[in-house]
Amino acid sequence: MAQIFHYSANNVAKLTIVAAVVLAGVAGFVYTQVARSSYLTGRYVEKQQPVQFSHKHHSGDDGIDCRYCHTAVETSSSAGMPPTQTCMNCHSQIWADSPYLEPVRASYRENKPIEWERVHDLPEYVYFNHSIHIAKGVGCSTCHGQIDNMPAVYQENTLQMEWCLQCHREPEKYIRPKSEIYNIQWNGGDLTAEERLNLKADYRIRNEQMMTSCSTCHR
Amino acid sequence: MLKNKLKVQSSKFKVGKSTAFCLLLTAYCLLSVGCRYDMQDQPRYKAYKKSDFFSDNRASRNLPEGTVPRGFLREDKAFYTGKGESGQNIAPAPAATPAMDASGNSLMTDFSGLVNEFPLPVTKELIDRGEQRYKVFCIVCHGPVGNGDGMIVRRGFSQPPTYNDDRLRNAPVGHFYNVITVGQGKMNGYASQIPPADRWAIVSYIRTLQISQNPNGNMQMTPTGKSSANSAPPSSNSNTTNAINANVNGGER
Repeated sequence: MAQIFHYSANNVAKLTIVAAVVLAGVAGFVYTQVARSSYLTGRYVEKQQPVQFSHKHHSGDDGIDCRYCHTAVETSSSAGMPPTQTCMNCHSQIWADSPYLEPVRASYRENKPIEWERVHDLPEYVYFNHSIHIAKGVGCSTCHGQIDNMPAVYQENTLQMEWCLQCHREPEKYIRPKSEIYNIQWNGGDLTAEERLNLKADYRIRNEQMMTSCSTCHR
Repeated sequence: MLKNKLKVQSSKFKVGKSTAFCLLLTAYCLLSVGCRYDMQDQPRYKAYKKSDFFSDNRASRNLPEGTVPRGFLREDKAFYTGKGESGQNIAPAPAATPAMDASGNSLMTDFSGLVNEFPLPVTKELIDRGEQRYKVFCIVCHGPVGNGDGMIVRRGFSQPPTYNDDRLRNAPVGHFYNVITVGQGKMNGYASQIPPADRWAIVSYIRTLQISQNPNGNMQMTPTGKSSANSAPPSSNSNTTNAINANVNGGER
């Protein structure tokens, strides 16, 4: 019986074995990149809001503390969205006739809340609480980035589980002193590794097993 | 879904294995997508979530009028309003009529009925807390030491009166508390932003600022009757306030 395959088919077969492995690897890599892409995570995507509110102006230029508006951040799971009255504390006089602020005035007149677009939307199988993170020394900018430099707020991080776990595994790399929590400009200071561990002990942050236990975040 | 699957299986031999496989795969994908949405966006309300149930579309509801959460019965009038009953240490009726200042603020001189003494012990912790809260909520207009030169004023908001004049140095502490709570002139009330204990902390810090800006004035945390229209006899039955009154005195430092 004549040979069906040419002698070179041996090489093709060997190549196929290698190519299959390489292709599987490439496919895996592509998958991880797509899964982390801003297309799927929403990272770096600026959301359009009903009012052109600029955190860069209010927080960066005017130096208003985060808690002036997000009053519940130290006491509640939600950081708290300000009621329209908080806007009107200043905008009853400043820019009071500006067409940009008409949605705010309309909201105040008609007693209807402004419908902001949620920028950081965690999946609802995740339990998240702002106040405990503040209490344990996680600063605003650790998760939210340079808010004081964002005319329109975007999501600075992927909010994926691997991102949460980075810090839950080694919180000492991310925490900061109490006085710097609301300092958006804080860049890590000159804390030594030892000082960071001391900080972790002072905050009484629990061990890695507890911090990465499933039920810490999925309850 | 289950029914669907069974149908597919029973008709397997008619439509052929590959068709059935494709249908099953589709069903599986649909199912898993369905799961994702049900887990990702669960049929429950989070804070500020939109609701289709309530007519105003808000899932976060206001308390019905008259509701008192446990532990929030506001019995202590002085603590929650800054106002006292007659017989307590409160400021008397005004001696002067309200005036206007250069920025068009009508200057309050009627402090009657407002408490002269802090309804809670003034400790270093309270003043520190007050400093922190002052720098969040007040500094934007009233400025770092209360002269009314905050950033928002520099941006065009009308200038508030300074804390550092005789009128407000002699004002009862209840006045500051009351203004934080209900507002005054062009300032909105901050009751929704600052809880009562923090308001008193801020008042204690405002007093501290006044003392710091008037080092020779021999001021005290509560006015005790020197050359003031708002003088009142020192309280004898208040057991909470006298602890610090003697000590936080910038004049002696």
